[in-house]
Parts: sequence; C-alpha cells; structure tokens
Amino acid sequence: MTHDLSTLTAGRIRDGIAAGDFTATDMAESALARIAALEGDVHAFNEVTAGLALDAAARVDDLAAAGEPLPPLAGVPVAFKDNMNLRGTNTSCSSLILESYSSVYDCTAVRRMLDAGAVPVGKCNMDEFAFGSSTENSAFGPTHNPWDLDRVPGGSSGGSAAAVSAGMAVLALGSDTGGSIRQPGALTGTVAMKPTYGRVSRYGVVAFASSLDQIGPFSKTVEECALTLNVICGKDPMDATSVDMPMQDLAATMRDGVEGLRVGVVRDLMALEGCDPRVRACTMDAVEVLAGLGAEVGEVDLPSCMYGMPAYYIIGPAEASSNLARFDGIRYGHRAEGAEDVMDLYLRSRAEGFGPESIRRIMLGTYALSAGYYDAYYGQAQKVRTLIIRDFEKAFCDYDVLVTPTSPTVAFKIGEKSSDPVSMYLSDVYTIPVNLAGIPAVSVPCGLVDGLPVGLHLMGRHFDEATLMRTAYSYEKAAALDMRPPLASALGV
Amino acid sequence: MAISEEQVRHVATLARLGLRDEQVAELQVELNDILVQIDRIQALDLTGVEPTTHAAAITNVTRPDVVRPCLPRSEALRNAPEQQDGAFLIPKFGG
Amino acid sequence: MSKDRLTTVLESWEAVIGLEIHTELTSLNTKMFCGCPVQFGGESNTRVCPVCLGMPGALPVPNESAVEATILAGLALDCRISRWSQFHRKNYFYPDMPKDYQISQYDLPFCVGGGVNVEIDGDGCAQRLDRAAVGADPDGTYTTRIGITRIHLEEDTGKMVHVGGSEGRIAGATHSLVDFNRAGTALMELVSEPEIRTPEEARRFAQKVRLVFLTLGVSDCNMEEGSMRVDANVSLRRRGDIEFGVKAEVKNMNSFKALHDALAYEILRQGDVLDAGGTIDQETRHWDAGKKRTSSLRSKEYAHDYRYFPEPDMVPFTFDDEYIDRLRARLPELPDARGSRYMAEYGLPKHDAAVLSGDLELGDYFEQVVEGVGVPLARAAANLVLGDFSAYLNAAGSTPTDADVGPRKLARLIQLVDDGTISGKQAKEVFAEMVATGEKPRQIIDRLGMRQVSDSGAIEEVVDRVLASNAAQVAEYRAGKHGLLGFFVGAVMREMGGQANPAVVNEILHARLDA
Ligand SMILES: [Mg+2]
Ligand SMILES: [Zn+2]
Repeated sequence: MTHDLSTLTAGRIRDGIAAGDFTATDMAESALARIAALEGDVHAFNEVTAGLALDAAARVDDLAAAGEPLPPLAGVPVAFKDNMNLRGTNTSCSSLILESYSSVYDCTAVRRMLDAGAVPVGKCNMDEFAFGSSTENSAFGPTHNPWDLDRVPGGSSGGSAAAVSAGMAVLALGSDTGGSIRQPGALTGTVAMKPTYGRVSRYGVVAFASSLDQIGPFSKTVEECALTLNVICGKDPMDATSVDMPMQDLAATMRDGVEGLRVGVVRDLMALEGCDPRVRACTMDAVEVLAGLGAEVGEVDLPSCMYGMPAYYIIGPAEASSNLARFDGIRYGHRAEGAEDVMDLYLRSRAEGFGPESIRRIMLGTYALSAGYYDAYYGQAQKVRTLIIRDFEKAFCDYDVLVTPTSPTVAFKIGEKSSDPVSMYLSDVYTIPVNLAGIPAVSVPCGLVDGLPVGLHLMGRHFDEATLMRTAYSYEKAAALDMRPPLASALGV
Repeated sequence: MAISEEQVRHVATLARLGLRDEQVAELQVELNDILVQIDRIQALDLTGVEPTTHAAAITNVTRPDVVRPCLPRSEALRNAPEQQDGAFLIPKFGG
Repeated sequence: MSKDRLTTVLESWEAVIGLEIHTELTSLNTKMFCGCPVQFGGESNTRVCPVCLGMPGALPVPNESAVEATILAGLALDCRISRWSQFHRKNYFYPDMPKDYQISQYDLPFCVGGGVNVEIDGDGCAQRLDRAAVGADPDGTYTTRIGITRIHLEEDTGKMVHVGGSEGRIAGATHSLVDFNRAGTALMELVSEPEIRTPEEARRFAQKVRLVFLTLGVSDCNMEEGSMRVDANVSLRRRGDIEFGVKAEVKNMNSFKALHDALAYEILRQGDVLDAGGTIDQETRHWDAGKKRTSSLRSKEYAHDYRYFPEPDMVPFTFDDEYIDRLRARLPELPDARGSRYMAEYGLPKHDAAVLSGDLELGDYFEQVVEGVGVPLARAAANLVLGDFSAYLNAAGSTPTDADVGPRKLARLIQLVDDGTISGKQAKEVFAEMVATGEKPRQIIDRLGMRQVSDSGAIEEVVDRVLASNAAQVAEYRAGKHGLLGFFVGAVMREMGGQANPAVVNEILHARLDA
C-alpha cells in the first residue's frame, strides 16, 4: 500500500504507525516508489539506500508491534546530503575524487536522526563539496527543480531540497555554509533552517568552511522543522565547536504567536539592485501578514553586510583549501594511474578528481592564505566579520527577528549562470552574513513568482531558534500556502 | 590585486593541482574576476577592529584523556587505493 | 673527530646553536585529538580512527591532559603561560600527515619565554673558549642560562617505511608503506633561543630538558624510539660579530652523543667551508651516525608556504590565574631544587648532589635509601649509591628501577655498617654477595660468619698477642716510626679474619703503644 508522502508530515507518520494505520515499511516502500517514479526527472539522489531503509523500517515496525513507545521520527523517510557520513553508504560529495569513498563511521546528526527512528532512503546530490548555489556543480549531473524541471533547485543542498519538495523524502538534512540550505529551500518551496553555529554537531559532515558550516533540516512544514531540530541539536563530544546550550521544546513554544514581536525589515539589503522586485514584494506581503498577527514592524540597516560577499569568498575558500587538502589519493579517494612518485600522484589525482568549481575555490583560498596575502585577505575578511557581527548585535537590540528575502531571485534556468561564477555567487547575498555572524535563520515559503517559490528569510539571535520557529509557524499558519510542486501533485501517489 | 600567470602556477603547486596550460589561463581570468569583487574590502579602514577567528564565542573545549575504540584495520584500509601488509602503499617518495 | 680541530675552528668562529626538541607525550592514554591509545610499535594501522586518519568529516577535539602537560612543562621551565592561546593549521602536503595540514601553534603558543641553567664540567669546558666571560669557576666549570623561546603543542605524523632500496632509505626505494599508528600523538615542541655556543652545551641543555620532562612524568623521552627528537640549527659567525651567519638544520640525532658529535662535525664542516671562502647553504642535513657525518638531503625542494591560519575546528584557550596556580601546585620537585636540597639538607658535596639530582631514577633510588637510613646517614647513602651501587649498575647495564638490589636492602646494609655489625670493608663484600645471590645483607653476614668484633676484651687479647710476637716493630714504633700503626692494624685484622671493628682496634693499639 503506497501513500502520498508529499502530503504526509513526520508527526502524522509517527502517529499513524503508532495507531496501526500503516507501517513504517509502508512508508519506506512509498518513498522508494516515489523515488523510482520521479528520480529520472529530478535526479535528487546520488545513492538510494533501499536496503538500509527497509531494515530501519522493520525495526520501527518491531517496536510498534511490541507496543513500545515510538521515538519522534519513527518511520519517517529521510534523505541526507551526500557530504554526510553514514556507514553502508558512499559519501561522494558529488565529486569524482570521492566517488567510491565508502563511509567507515556515522555523522552525528545523521546518527541522531536514525536513533530517533528515521528511515534513510538515500544520499542526495549537491554541488561538489557544497561549492555552489545551483547543484549544477555535481560530478554526477544537476538536480532539477520539481517546480520546473528546466530550472535549478538552488544549492548546494539542492538534492535534499528537491527530495523533500517532490515528496521523495519527508525530511532531509543539508549543510549551510553561505546559504546552502536556505537558498535551495526558498527555490523549492520548502522550510529550510540553518541553526546557530555550534547548535548541531558538524562531526561527520565533510567540511567546506569549518567556521561557517552548519547542518540543518528541510521539511514541508515549520512544525517538522522544529521537530527535526530538536532531534539533531545538542553538544557532541566529537565536535569541539558544538555548544552545550539547552534547547526549548520548539514544537511547544512555536505556538505562542507573534503578538508584540519586533520584526525588523533589513532596508538596505532589500534595496539591493540584483533583487527581483516581485520577490521583494512577496517578502513585504509576508511582513504585512506578521504585522496583522500583532508583530511590531520596523526597518533597520545592516551596512557591513554589503561586505559579506567578499568576506565570505575569502574565508570560505581559504578554509576549504585546507579542508580539501586531505583528498590526496593516499588513504582513500581517487588515485591517478601509474604515478611515478608521490608528487606526481598528488598533482594528477587532485587535478583529475576535483571539478572546475572546486579547483577555483581551492586556488582562491590557497592564494588568499599564501605568504604576503594573509593580512590583506583572510585577516581583513575576519575583521569584516567582526563588523557584521556588530551590525547584527545592534539590530537585535531593537528587533527580535530580522527579515530579507532568502534569495534575490526565484529559481533560474539550468545553465543560465553556470558560466559566470561571480553572478552565481550573488545568489547568496542575503544568506551569507548569517553564516559569518553564526546566527540562526530559516527560510519559509512566502508565495510564488511566475509559478516559482519565493522564500521569506527570518534571522534571529544566537541560540534563539525558538523565536524563529514561533515567527515562521505563525506566518505559515496565517498564509496557508499550498507549496506542493505541480510535478508532485500530478504524480498523485 | 591582480594575479599573474606565474602566481597561478605557484598557487597550483602549493595546492598540489597539476593544471594544464589552458586551465592556468582560464583560472587566471576567473580568479581575477573574483578578486575584483573581493578587493572591495581592501578599501575599508579596519584598523583597531579585532578579527573574528571563531564563530562560537566559547573557549577551552577539551575532552578527557580516555581511550575510545579504534577502527578495525580492515575498515581503516577499506578505502585505500593500494595497500600492502596492513599499510597504505604509495609510490616512491621524492624524485 | 679531533677535539683540537674543533678548538681551532672555534677560536676564529663562534657557533650559534638553537635546538628544537619535539617530545611525544607518551604518558597520556590517548592521542592529541582523538581517543586512540598511545603506544609504541605494534601492528600497523591498528591504532587509528576517522580523526587520526583524516577521514572526510572527522573533527579534532583536544586532549585536556595534553594541554595540562604542556602548561606544566612551561611552568617547570620558567615560561610565561599565555592568557589567550589557540591552535593554528600548518598547511603542507606529506604522505604521513593524514589531513595534509598539521594542527600546531603559531603566534599564540601555550608557553613563551623561560630558560634553564646548564652546568658544564669536564672536557666540555674546553669548547667554551670565552668561559671566563660567562663566569667560570676557578676549576674551569661554568654555568650558563639557555633561553627558551616557546613551548607549544602539536600532533605527530605517521611513519613511512621505504621499500626496495637499501636499509629502508628513501634513495633507491620503489615504493613506501605508510602506518598511521603514531599519527596524531600529542607532540610538545620546545624551541630554544640561539644561545647555545658549544656541542657540549647543546647536549647538556637537551639532557636537562629531558630530565625536567621525566620529572614531570609527561613522556618517556626515549631518543632511540623517537619519543624525544632533537633538531639543531647551527651557524657560525666571526668572533665579535653580532650578525648571525647562514644556518643549517641538522636532524636525525637519536642520542645525546649523536647530538654532540653531529654539532661538532657541523661546526668543523661549516668552518672549513667558510675558511675556504665558501658560503653555507640554508638546508636540512641528516646526521649519519655510522659514517659520523652530516649530509644534505638534496631532494627536490618545493617552496615552503605553510599558510598558517587559526584552526577553525577548535576554539581558543584562556588560562587564568586559578588554572595556572592549580597546575603550579601539581609541579613535582624539579632537578635544580633537588640538588640544592641534597646539599643543604643532606650535606652532600656539590658534585654528588649534581649527579644524584641529574638522574631521575638514581635520585629517586637514593631518596628511598635515605628514607630507610635517616638523614644523618644520607652522606653514607650517597657514597654507596654513587660508588659500589653505580659501579654495579654500569657493569650490569641495569637501571636503578630494575636493579637486583632494592633501596631497602641497601639501607639495611648501611645501617649494619653504622651500628658496627660489619666494617665498611666487609660491606663491600656483602654488597657483592647481595648482587650475586639476591640475599638480604643479614643473611649473607650470617652465612659467611662475617661479624664485626667490637668486643674490646676479644680484641685486646689479639692485640696483645700481635704486639708480643712483633717486639722489634713495637720498639721501632715507640722510637717514633708511627707509620707502623697500619702494620699492627693489618696484623690484628688478619688474625681476626677481618671481623674486628677497625675503630676499636685502633683505639686499643694506641692505648697499648702510646702508653
Ligand atoms: Mg613543529
Ligand atoms: Zn585516532
């Protein structure tokens, strides 16, 4: 018996299994059936893990049969970005250099999902090593946006976003270094969250930029986002940058409403030239909804955020150039044939294994850190980071939540920007400052432009995910948008 | 700060990327396009501003000196491109 | 290598030497950034995990005991402890370095400044031509303070075995095998100021540092197994010059003797080159202990650019007074303090105090003996430990800890001499038996019937007999030839099978002869 996973929520699945309406195996099979039907068009996955899914589902069904209490994500089909280690899967990062790399340990966030009863259906396509905003930089071909197959799903967690949007998975995890969860979330009409830096362990997610990376969820609803966040957050002894900070029960506090909440629209960022006026209008409509719910709306500027993009394109590649050094063909990953010595092996394995965008970023980062340039680039970027943090601190004196669009445009056509790295880089202009400051932010669907989803970007104080969830939930309930992509509705299963 | 072809080659060697000549030429153009964007922050006077080196404002995170299980050797070597006698085999060193 | 040639070179050139001492924190249970156990040797790649193999996505978490050990080392060597410190990444590719960067420290190490006093005596004094200027004692020995620039913490690499060439060397090898068991072991790096002027000072400095680390118990400091590795930067400058010359880095010295000899060789080599009007290449040279020379590696060199930046996978460290004081309170008695105490409390001569406090195990052994005999007999204890006991250790190739004669037995022996049960001379014999049989001193004395006779009645009887049968010598003695006393003592002792208490014999002989 298959079920339509584009409408079932995680909570409904768990309750349904507990009530005996259906089994976890039904859910796993439904997900696998949907993947079989849609994957040819969407290409959300690098690997479908049917065996792992059915095993995990069987364990949940055993629990249910024994009348045991079910964990929060029991039987929920989930997908993971292919930069997260999970034993029994390859973790390719959509790169030839790791194409056959088989994980020998589990990512903490993934483990927490599975321990909470989730059923892993696959590993999702992404921009190679998370370098990109369109999922076109995958060695295994682009992912297509379920809303329009000619368009990108955003990136770099585009596969995860597309999988949830198309109902191939109920939840997915992505990683966000400069917007890589929120931007694809906006472009696919899903709820997408980047928690506070340190909130979720980074152990086991292949690092892009260690000081910016954070794992977060994709879901169809804010409630599921909150539920997932509660599962994956918390101090991990394996990650020295994970923070021991108690998290509220988000599913409970999100219902508290926004009466009196101070919402600041970031005026200078909204006015940026590259922002589609219709996207801007959608965002302002959403702010009106919040005002109607009793929020106090005002305006604020974040002048240093203008420099977020250049700072990010120094810090990100610099850290990445170091993080990606380990892909050297010695212990795992691609090794060039017939290398005559170690130097030859390094040079050829890496040149053959990395795609063009990875090479660009490694080169840029290596240059920015090299002798004589550190102060001008990395040092200067770190100071800009300080200014951005100050801007946010100041803004959060007056406001509880800050608002921008998530992406300046809706999903663009596959190939449209891929020959122009700089214009591609601009698609993260709203999301980047959040990573530089380490604060949490969420993208919530707030309407359609040309039949394509627009995301509302809500930013909060460090460790104040609760306020973000409360705002997002209130908006979602009031707006009551149908964010099922045509493709998913047409399939009807 | 524009990057020269010679610098591109030097950086590629530092990064152990064996680039073809046409890649070097392409990258020189692309990197310079990006550097134009990045160089916008060069104009900022940031004297007296402390750099932010870490995103989390915490200090002194350590772990106790307690042994944890190791990987079985078969797992450690599972992804080895070449192995011999329980070790990772690499071609000759130097040269 | 001729010492005269070294002196000749040092007459016109002053050596400027700085040491880098890498010490693996072998006393820790686990590696620097992961929970893999620290152990020497073993099957390759069996003590590894995703972290120390540099698997994708694995993260380092620093070992709190490694941090403490480094701060302790800093406190023991008079360093300042940084209030704010952090790890950096040192980026370079090497097959035995899993992440292709080393987590190390850069401009914010845990410990800065500091130094140790190094005492030079014996032949090594001659190497320091200007020793008078550094305040040499009249006997030629001198003490000099060597500054410490910094002590920081980093991670060790794995190990490579080169296959196909000769003796596991890189040259001629067809391929190499990499074992990551050692990778990620906590490594403490100490950098000295370039204030060392002679090979002997270098050796003594390294020995002193090693002794301090052994005293702290942070490492086994085994140079042969590589848990302590000393590299030296050495250059020459004309005497009187202030500018430094071009330096060579010398590696692969796996003993203190090798360190001394490699430096002596390198000084001669550089002196020869400079005297011939040549220039020194800034390069890394390997010491070949067999051929007794350093040689350049001459491998293909790529420009080094380590691209240091703050390690983003870890957060900074702050060390406040409370933390530092808490660690300071954990410092054991350090070698210099121990030596001073031996002189002040036990009345040992400077040399004895230096030898005993200069060897951690011997000093510990000595203190256990003193514990057994009491402070008034400490000098007797020192004499025995530095005399017969040390001779035995040398002969047996043993260490105080695994010596067959434990400190309690040795203390008993000293007491048996002190209470007059046996003579000092007999004690030597008993000690030899203790070594040979492992018996307790009392058992040996009983078995050999070796009892010292202090009973004056018995001794008087023998003395009288000896004097009676040597009337001529008695007359000569009384005529003023007092040197004959030894003859009478010897005769009495012989007569009594060596068991007479020499003091009592002396006393009675005097009473009889001088009457
Ligand atoms: Mg070092
Ligand atoms: Zn390990």
